[in-house]
Amino acid sequence: MSDPGRRTRMLQLAAGAAFLAVAAVLVLIVISASGSDDGGDTELEGVAEINRSLQGIPQHELILGDLKAPVELVEYADLQCPYCKAFTEDIVPSIIENQVKKGQAVIGFRNFVVIGKQSVAAGAAALAAGFQERGWNFIEIFYRNQGRENSGYADDAFLEAIAKAAGVKDLRLWNQNRAEQVVPVEQTTAEAEGLGFTGTPSFALGGLHIPGLEAIETPASAGPLEEAIEDASH
Amino acid sequence: MTYPSEGNLQRAIAFLAALGVGVASYIAVEAAGGDAPTCIAGSTGCATVAKSAYSHVAGVNIAVFGIIGYAALLASAFFANDLARFGGFVVALGGFGYSVFLTYVEIFKIEAICQWCVASATLMTILFLLNATRLIGYAGTAGAVPSRA
Repeated sequence: MSDPGRRTRMLQLAAGAAFLAVAAVLVLIVISASGSDDGGDTELEGVAEINRSLQGIPQHELILGDLKAPVELVEYADLQCPYCKAFTEDIVPSIIENQVKKGQAVIGFRNFVVIGKQSVAAGAAALAAGFQERGWNFIEIFYRNQGRENSGYADDAFLEAIAKAAGVKDLRLWNQNRAEQVVPVEQTTAEAEGLGFTGTPSFALGGLHIPGLEAIETPASAGPLEEAIEDASH
Repeated sequence: MTYPSEGNLQRAIAFLAALGVGVASYIAVEAAGGDAPTCIAGSTGCATVAKSAYSHVAGVNIAVFGIIGYAALLASAFFANDLARFGGFVVALGGFGYSVFLTYVEIFKIEAICQWCVASATLMTILFLLNATRLIGYAGTAGAVPSRA
């Protein structure tokens, strides 16, 4: 037994649903595609300025500067940490200008997770960017656009936008690498704890004339760090 | 036009929907354990896709929505009435549409292919065709009587 009227209504409804589905898929694709040109939905600040300031300085993983430099200043930091952001923006530029660019020192960033799980993902993403010589671009752009601690802002879309802005060319490789960098983040965190550090940022000096790493006090300005680097280089 | 019997369509839908529940459950269980589904032949596409921002909607892994969709399709296969036909069509249409979008995302945005996602998209495409055939062939009929025109 069949009901032609009911059948017609159902097929009309089905056609309407199919039309809506096609429209919805097209809208999703257009929205998704429009986000690809500007690094996703995330608006980032300071990208051009940071990339310009780091241009021409050698990078090896998360070490900034010429690896032949006699001193390594190691910064143990958490990308979500506001003090680390302040240090990177207020003090690091002077050290880069006066000592890193002159080949006297390199600065190594090591993840020291003290805030939360998102710091691990962010740190792994920075390490993966470092494999493409864009680690410091990633770190500085991240700090410039840092959000509230553990608020969820450092999600995959944010990290990918930072990576793109930092100039990471092979995003596919970056995605693969960051999935494997959680353990190294945990290792450097344990290393920082082993040096007796309890907060971020913390610093240590290493290099030609220093066996292992020597923990130093967290300074309030660039001066003491520059002096420590100066002393360690002789 | 001759359509396959509704009983055969229902059996095919039930079989494929059950497979779909299995595929989506595997992806969801792996994700819940913090892992990515294992791709065949050592491909890393599954890990890349699972790690991407597109693997979750509103904080929920999309495989969970997949399980719900496939379960609904499986349920619709056990009834021979217009509600089941139309409901099955709408769910399969939604699943097919979203699979098209996800395939686009894999190819052009994430630039990685997850074999499990491809398997699910293939199942959903066939299920959409079967449910569309069922609706067109049997809408407005009382039971599993083949419609011939």
